[in-house]
Amino acid sequence: MEKGKKRTREENKEEIEAGSSDADHSLSLEQNLTFSDTLVALRIMRAQFPQIDKAAIQPFILQSQLYSSVKDRTQVDRDLESLRREKVVRIFKLNTGQDDHGIMLLDDYIKQMEHVIRRMEERKQGDLEVFKWFKAYVIESKLEPSIEHQELCSLLSLGGRVKDDHISLLINAGLLTRQLIDPNMYWFAIPNIGSILKGISQGRKELISLLNRRRYKEMMLVPLEKKRLRLSPLDMRFHLRDLIGSGHLKTAHSPTGIVVRVSKD
Amino acid sequence: MWKEIGDREAGKIRPNSFSSRIKSNRISNLQLSNHKDIVSPHRGSINSLQVDLTEGRYLLSGASDASAAVYDVQKATNYEGNGLIAKHKYLFLVDKQHEKGHKYAISSAIWYPVDTGLFVTGSYDHCIKVWDTNTTQVVMNFKMPGKVYRTAMSTLATSHMLIAAGTEDVQVRLCDISSGAFAHTLSGHRDGIMTAEWSTSSEWVLITGGCDGAIRFWDIRRAGCFLVLDQSQSQLGRRPPVLGRSAANKVSVSKLTSAGQSSLVKSRAPQKKYANGHGIKQSTIGRMPGKGSARQRVHPGMLSIQDRATAHYGAVTGLKVTEDGMYLLSAGSDSRIKLWDLESGYNTLVNFEMVRLQTSKAIQLAISQDSAHVFVPCMAVVKAFDVWSGKMSLAFRGHYESVNCCWFSSQDQELYTGGSDRQILVWSPRKSISDDMDEGHAKDQDNWSD
Repeated sequence: MEKGKKRTREENKEEIEAGSSDADHSLSLEQNLTFSDTLVALRIMRAQFPQIDKAAIQPFILQSQLYSSVKDRTQVDRDLESLRREKVVRIFKLNTGQDDHGIMLLDDYIKQMEHVIRRMEERKQGDLEVFKWFKAYVIESKLEPSIEHQELCSLLSLGGRVKDDHISLLINAGLLTRQLIDPNMYWFAIPNIGSILKGISQGRKELISLLNRRRYKEMMLVPLEKKRLRLSPLDMRFHLRDLIGSGHLKTAHSPTGIVVRVSKD
Repeated sequence: MWKEIGDREAGKIRPNSFSSRIKSNRISNLQLSNHKDIVSPHRGSINSLQVDLTEGRYLLSGASDASAAVYDVQKATNYEGNGLIAKHKYLFLVDKQHEKGHKYAISSAIWYPVDTGLFVTGSYDHCIKVWDTNTTQVVMNFKMPGKVYRTAMSTLATSHMLIAAGTEDVQVRLCDISSGAFAHTLSGHRDGIMTAEWSTSSEWVLITGGCDGAIRFWDIRRAGCFLVLDQSQSQLGRRPPVLGRSAANKVSVSKLTSAGQSSLVKSRAPQKKYANGHGIKQSTIGRMPGKGSARQRVHPGMLSIQDRATAHYGAVTGLKVTEDGMYLLSAGSDSRIKLWDLESGYNTLVNFEMVRLQTSKAIQLAISQDSAHVFVPCMAVVKAFDVWSGKMSLAFRGHYESVNCCWFSSQDQELYTGGSDRQILVWSPRKSISDDMDEGHAKDQDNWSD
């Protein structure tokens, strides 16, 4: 069995701050595949998020990564729900396929929003007070990943008169996207995340094809982790956790270590 | 086993817990049956299976080649393999050759809930036919505006004989057998309706799942639906905590107070009492917002049309209500299975590990009687999950192609599955064949010691 790290939340926070630079290199995936608590798993995975130079983006975690890290999936769902209600994290629906959700700590999201707002201020594209209203009224009160047009307008109008241009500004900044099925609903979105989402879907395909090309469609975890993916800016560990959690890959214990294989169902 | 029987006799174990212990033991060693086989005459994939509810003896199957057949699952038609394997051939078959038979695939075949004298089939040729079992004649024919995806009749009904039909049209139609006409239609869905189930706690409540991802609850005595399940409304745990209900309401109440007016409000009909209550005043039901385009006054029962909450991100492909009427399991084409608490209308957030589910066709789920196991057809495998924790307990691999339907007979603890490979497989608890063989030997010998 992997060593589950049982730590209290406060202890762990300090450790993360102290050792976040070491976290990347010294902890191998084999020893740290599972954690005991959802919040612990979230914080550790956030610390392990790879640095990408091209896109300045705050760390986020995919929901499938959490499923591979904590044993009980139902408990993960319930913990996420209570964290969401306590406004510790925010959940976003991503468009990389079937029911993918991205989880971001609220502080990180606010930082990301401010980065985008600053960029738009430099370009001086129209009235920028809508971003203040968005942060103060919409983010504070609407905790679900989607919002209706009427409700958005009524929440924004608590700050001032809302025009259609304001909503276009929010969509241009990348904070909202229209839903394809329903023209009246919007998804909340993480701005500047497009290239990373593309990297996620291409990296997934590459990793699965890498394993499918092998004779028995399996590989030991330790050498697999050392490989680098060509098409994705994210590291192998990110993709492994994601695919194991969504069920496309299975892990099995062998006397020499953990083996990762493509699941056949 | 003998000790447990002795304990029951002595009163140490209650009879109910004794029988449920044996039943769950048998369920946990379900495997492909080595003594029972159903010979399927169908030449198309099997879309629907149902064992009759009165005796638990006759299995009705509907297939894509417009044929429906009935088998006796308790008495075999002939024996093979030295009397060890029971073969169950069909008792009768109705197919395209029948003068009034269906012309295209049968998507749903169900028994009349009161007795096995009638059965109802719905097909892609836009017809629902009611058949007399003994004479195999069509007694009634209802013409629908689109392909029929599902037909359902209430097992509790004492005052009505309505067939609820879900078609590719957006309206649910209720067909009345006693009069031969349509009783009424229920509008609210925005796309075709793939699944329909009657509630197991009330004869007036119908639950439908649509291709738009919404699950709606209809009381057929009134217009409009009274509940639309929303996947973002969730509760942590099987039942909402008594004091924690205020926490669940915090989100919706803050929504109402921070927004000036509650424009798109989930309306709750005045008669229905909800323990949680979203704090919606009755006065808002008649009022429509004036913002944006002008809207006409809508009948209070039809306000539910504006409620666009979805239960799944894709179409709802399977629905099953537990026998006690307290929980609902729904399967969607987003490959998720969700467990809903029917009294509060919330998602209980139980996570069933699923990689892929069939997206184009409806699937039939099955639940064991004590609501502890749910059997889900996932592509070519049928998986059994524990309902409360979401963990997979058993996987049944035997079909060559995707499985479309399954039925669990709680009387014998047997699972029948039908798939696109035209086979009906029986999964039964392990029965050692050696018992039968010994019996054969002992018959001819005396008990005298020589």
